[in-house]
Amino acid sequence: MRFSFMGKHGGSHPEENKSRTSQLPIVDATVPKILIFPVSMHIGAPAKPVVEVGDKVKVGQLIAEEGGFISANIYSSVSGEVIAIEKRPTAKGPTDSIIIKNDYEYTKADPIVEPGHSHEMDKDKIVETVRKAGIVGMGGATFPTAVKLSPPPGMTIDTLIINGAECEPYSTSDHRVMVEYADEIVDGINLARTLFPRLKQIYIGIEDNKPNAIEALRKASEDFDDITVRPLKTMYPQGSEKNLIKTLTNREVRPGGLPAEVRCVVMNTSTIRQCYRACEFGEPLIERIVSVSGTPIKEPKNLRVKIGTPMDSLIEDCGGFSEVPGKVLSGGPMMGQAVSDLGVVIIKGTTAVTVLTPEEANQGEEQDCIMCSECLNVCPVSLQPILISDAFERGNIDKAEELGAMDCIECGNCSFICPSKIPLLENIRNAKAAIKAKKEG
Amino acid sequence: MAQAIDVKGKLRTGPSPHIRKARTAAGVMTEVLIALIPPAIAAVFFFGWWVIGMLAIGIGTAVLAEYTYQKLTYKPIKIHDRSAMVTGALVALSLPVTAPIWMIIFGSLFAIIIVKQMNGGIGRNYFNPAVAARVVTKAFFTPWLANWVLPGGFLGSGYRGVDAIATATPLEYLGNGAQTVTEQVPGLWDLFMGFNLGGNIGETSKIAILIGMLYLIFRGVIHPKIPILYIVSTFLIMGFWSSFNFNFMMSHVLTGTLFFGATYMATDYSSGSLTPQGKTVFAIGCGVLTAFFRIVFDFPGGVGFAILIMNALAPYIDSKLMPRIYGHETRPQVDYDRQKSNS
Repeated sequence: MRFSFMGKHGGSHPEENKSRTSQLPIVDATVPKILIFPVSMHIGAPAKPVVEVGDKVKVGQLIAEEGGFISANIYSSVSGEVIAIEKRPTAKGPTDSIIIKNDYEYTKADPIVEPGHSHEMDKDKIVETVRKAGIVGMGGATFPTAVKLSPPPGMTIDTLIINGAECEPYSTSDHRVMVEYADEIVDGINLARTLFPRLKQIYIGIEDNKPNAIEALRKASEDFDDITVRPLKTMYPQGSEKNLIKTLTNREVRPGGLPAEVRCVVMNTSTIRQCYRACEFGEPLIERIVSVSGTPIKEPKNLRVKIGTPMDSLIEDCGGFSEVPGKVLSGGPMMGQAVSDLGVVIIKGTTAVTVLTPEEANQGEEQDCIMCSECLNVCPVSLQPILISDAFERGNIDKAEELGAMDCIECGNCSFICPSKIPLLENIRNAKAAIKAKKEG
Repeated sequence: MAQAIDVKGKLRTGPSPHIRKARTAAGVMTEVLIALIPPAIAAVFFFGWWVIGMLAIGIGTAVLAEYTYQKLTYKPIKIHDRSAMVTGALVALSLPVTAPIWMIIFGSLFAIIIVKQMNGGIGRNYFNPAVAARVVTKAFFTPWLANWVLPGGFLGSGYRGVDAIATATPLEYLGNGAQTVTEQVPGLWDLFMGFNLGGNIGETSKIAILIGMLYLIFRGVIHPKIPILYIVSTFLIMGFWSSFNFNFMMSHVLTGTLFFGATYMATDYSSGSLTPQGKTVFAIGCGVLTAFFRIVFDFPGGVGFAILIMNALAPYIDSKLMPRIYGHETRPQVDYDRQKSNS
């Protein structure tokens, strides 16, 4: 166990469990016969289907268009036929989905912009292309990237942060993208220069457990003096947007505020690469890199996956299960979502599929708090999780709010570290919901 | 290829995080018990085999008291969290080898029933049970406590230290206005190792306590700043008092309950500070008060009083030193004390 003299770490050190996949090259996943596209695979309004049952679609054809300013287009990742539009299970519950039967012809639709002209694009053209490509935050947040790239007027961006921390245990998809596509990430950064003319500093933040990714990006960016590849201490949640800004610039985003208010934009490595590919090749977001790992997985892999591929297809690609799994997660073990059905598909924000044994997923038996203060020590935003949880359990919603419940970023460190196995984050989430309900009611 | 294992209906759901650190509350207490082994071994070495009997009585009484109290008050039985074992061991190690059996039992009962359980049980008591017990036994039963008995060795002293010789404590020469080390005070090496040193059985060998302290620090059970700031504060105050007479300062650090209290008592979770900065203030406060009591008063037990006073102040310190939340300009100004039953 690690300690610091001041007693406050602002993070925890879960077992990394990345070694089974971190050095494996990305390979193509098997493309399944049936692909499912939930119309809500991003933050914001659901996309509106623009195809009907029976329609033939091509690879890269728009199948659902954005349903508002904060929303995103959805494209087919295969060619084939729309066979149904109906509710299907997702990690967040049943969602309207477009179901496409793959014809394995891979007939391509026209690119969204003419390829090869990204360096000539102006600011508006780049934002428009990113919006059209349906790009959302691919690190899991799934916030529409075009919105992020258009900060409100009056806000100057002087710092661009590329988030390659990848602090979730087991996950290695960003790691592989950085090692294998470092040049495309740097190309994406150079596109962003057009977007933010006042840019002074560009950081690429990578946890120091990925030396080959650090090296690859240093090499790819060696011609640019303003790009700094910054190794970060391996600590969860190093990749949280707010904390990354603080670590790299010593600026803090106010509660409920945008990073743009402190002149920063933070983008995930896969997202910036995707922006480049959209502008340069006219490619919409139809595939992504997903790491599939965990003790019950026979042959863990880093896979290039068509959006809409169900998890069971990926698990088969990885040789299936070697033992009965306890939990299957969309994402990593700290912030991922448990699914009860392996028909749940890979969407734009799925970084990883993590499978835990029943023992690994054991939450332990809850006991009385011993006041060890570990939850305070590991909270990245300096909350006192036990007090908020305690106030909620006693029905004191006002105190929970005064103690800062709404500032919780839900990283899960408090629940993870608690020796008394108190479901701290669960209580804080419930407190947040109660505070919101009280305000609205 | 079909999946060999059918998972339908077998997958668990539930909110994130999906993994938990292996350490449990009982595991933390086990670590403390392990860290008490070096001073316990030193106690047996210096004061004889009866130490084992004292520990058995202290721990046995504490566990039985907790069980009985919880049974009689229809509360869930929680002796498996091992915190009562820690308290019982601390009570026993805080007494001299001549302490009568009834006093060990009284100390454990007082610690568990009055200080711990009647204040809400684990994690809710404001005062450290073992410290409160030692202060109370000292205050009321001094006639039965020949405090400073010279050790007789493993076989030498035996049951209740019949061969023990009671003498004045070094603190009587070091404290109460003294500013220099007189010849009645043992040398620093003897103070550090515990050679020819009388006192409460667990407290004489500082090297044994240091091993326990380092174990707790490296196992991540205690915050290093608590024992370090506590001891350094006493050291520095004694420095100011004695015009930086190094021998005097070190003699104070290595005498009495300071090392033991700083390692095993000021670091108690429930009665200490919760917030990171609160811990700093708490530890320095303990050190300053200990030095003050030693300089000004002519009674033993300054460490116990210092810790109890800081225990009482800890909730107030915490409420004033709540950590500033990310993105906020000021600390939260909230009156909230989870140890209070009606917060």
